Amino acid sequence: MTQPNSVTLNVNGKALTANAAAIDTLLTVLRDQFLLTGAKRGCNQGVCGACTVLADGRPVRSCLSLAFDCDDRRIDTIEGLNDRPIMQALQRAFIAGGAFQCGFCTPAMLVASFALLQSNPHPSEAEIRRALSGNYCRCTGYKKIVEAVFDAAARLPADTAA
Amino acid sequence: MPSSPSLFRPRTLDEALDILAGTPDARPISGGASLVAMMNAGLVEPAALVSLTRIPELSGIRRTADGGIMVGAATRHSAIAADRIFDGTAAVLAHAASQIAGTAVRNMGTIGGAVAHADPGLDFPPALFAVDAHVQLAVKSGRRALPIRDFFVDWYTTALEPGEIVIGFEIPKPKAGAGFYLKHARVAGDFAVVSIALSLADDGEVRVAVGGCGPAPLGSTQADQMLSSGLSAETLRRAGELLTALANPVDDVRGTAEYRKLLIPRMLTRAAREITSARKAVA
Repeated sequence: MTQPNSVTLNVNGKALTANAAAIDTLLTVLRDQFLLTGAKRGCNQGVCGACTVLADGRPVRSCLSLAFDCDDRRIDTIEGLNDRPIMQALQRAFIAGGAFQCGFCTPAMLVASFALLQSNPHPSEAEIRRALSGNYCRCTGYKKIVEAVFDAAARLPADTAA
Repeated sequence: MPSSPSLFRPRTLDEALDILAGTPDARPISGGASLVAMMNAGLVEPAALVSLTRIPELSGIRRTADGGIMVGAATRHSAIAADRIFDGTAAVLAHAASQIAGTAVRNMGTIGGAVAHADPGLDFPPALFAVDAHVQLAVKSGRRALPIRDFFVDWYTTALEPGEIVIGFEIPKPKAGAGFYLKHARVAGDFAVVSIALSLADDGEVRVAVGGCGPAPLGSTQADQMLSSGLSAETLRRAGELLTALANPVDDVRGTAEYRKLLIPRMLTRAAREITSARKAVA
């Protein structure tokens, strides 16, 4: 009835097993056991957005997700999205536009932007701002981030597969 | 260091209710958007968690035989925001769902969890007032339904008994018309300072509820009746005065009680303007 003390998760297409307690979050398991440190532990309250990963293709807060409750979902982190054309376009646009300062929020900004462009390849500025409204940048770099997402979208071929 | 709680993962509602009845201090958990945040902050240390995420009968949205809408407690905010079933006067519910927190939280949080948590700044409770929803509750020994207006008892306190959980919401058949949810928050994604849930049927019937101004949403039959005689400047002024007089907000980090009282009539007027133009656009 209760859980075993290990959990197996589908992370970036691989089955990974970790020792985990019932209250361990997905973020804790990703960072501390799988050493996937792209998702950041910022507020640990679901507010800052720095821990954003994809669950079944949709952005979620890994700091608010119980690891065990993710064992039937496909988890994608920033580390596993590197070879996707949309992610590569976003990375190039962020670099070209200088869309970061300290970089702490950047992986989650990229994951959230990736999810946006997958479902809406040509968003308006308002749609970009709305999609990123749950991702804080405390260096106040929003303008360049929004411009970079807009730029990446413009450079995507019309038929880009995610 | 306290020992880690156990996690139960039942597959049926009956199994979940058995566990909750037999495990004192167990907390039901679904999306985790509120409870895990509180655990991470050290505010609660549950003895056991009962995950409701694997119980199919708690999820989903469906039309009932009499034209109403059933929303399962474990239905996520994003699913409610996107479902076109919420039309006419019921549009207020989807509109409220679309304004909860940000995309990632809407993909996690569930309507049952939000309502059971009963934070006064939440968006669903006033919207559920505006659609005259009933909340369905279940405990091992049986089930019951309460009008949403009887569910919120005090600050963060609901009519839920020990071992009882919210299993869904029943919304009466929506009328032709429009619904609008106006939220004033300090920044995108924050809890409401004040919110107004408004539904306007083509036959003139109005429901209004105010969020963020007391332990429970504020609704008033008298205000509904005033506004149902026509959304004129005069009825809006009188209903705004009445709701402001009935409101019992407190000072908190999001705003003072005085500021909230100033917002109520102004936001009511704005919501009425928006809903009237939304209805014209559809017509």
